[in-house]
Amino acid sequence: MEIDVEALKRDWTGFTFDTAEFEALTADLVGFATACGETAKRYTDPSDPDFQAVPNYPSRYVGRRVLPDNFPRLGGGYGFDAGKCVTPIAPIRAGDKITARSQIHDVYTKTGRSGTMLFIVHRMEFSNQRGEPVSVVDWRMVQQDRGAQ
Amino acid sequence: MSLTFDDVDFGAELPPIAPDVTLANVRRFTTASGMTFARFHDHEQARKEGLPGAIVPGIMSQGILVALIHRWAPGAVVRKIDTIFRAPILVDSHPVARGVVTDKNDETRTLEIDLTIQNEAKETRVVGTATVELP
Repeated sequence: MEIDVEALKRDWTGFTFDTAEFEALTADLVGFATACGETAKRYTDPSDPDFQAVPNYPSRYVGRRVLPDNFPRLGGGYGFDAGKCVTPIAPIRAGDKITARSQIHDVYTKTGRSGTMLFIVHRMEFSNQRGEPVSVVDWRMVQQDRGAQ
Repeated sequence: MSLTFDDVDFGAELPPIAPDVTLANVRRFTTASGMTFARFHDHEQARKEGLPGAIVPGIMSQGILVALIHRWAPGAVVRKIDTIFRAPILVDSHPVARGVVTDKNDETRTLEIDLTIQNEAKETRVVGTATVELP
């Protein structure tokens, strides 16, 4: 299957295709941090005056849709999770109401021994209940063109 | 006393950590993160999906690398962390997380840190980079 990356970028990047809301619960903030081995009190102790979510906490949030409706599937399915890049902007505090807006940020291909792989960068921009941006998470998904093997 | 920017030399290695990826702890993580897929907390179900056993969620691996940074420098502020999940870390295995300082920016007082998680066979399963600000 020929992949027209420029057409994919033109047709699918740069618009919000999903919006979701979440609440940052104290127990989840502590559980996430401590299970990862975090020891800094501002992430593990709700009584700390600077208590907040660990920097990569928003990477746990998934919107209602992984990809826009009708986004082409290469090889079927959504593919696999190749990585995540988190850019914290401001602390997420317990009780914050977080809004996540999803868009396709980038599309590119890589070709290796196992064929052509399509990388889709799903960007989620997070803001709190005051509309302040708190984090950006880029989620790299990979779809593989099995027909090219 | 927390580490400061001036204390750190280019090439400094962060003390490695052996993260807890036992089934019980990964279940704590999946409960807190709402990751309900059985492949993360059920060996048998993971094998049915073609995996060698239950696997550690990628974002838990990323959290382990964040914890590695904070254990080394509790006052560090992570400005960015990018991780690539090359291959799964198995639940109930014995991985090691490591980091090394690869750049220093005197203007922004930030460091670039290369990060890895290796399994018992010394295979690098997760790689990453972080931009970290120190006081």
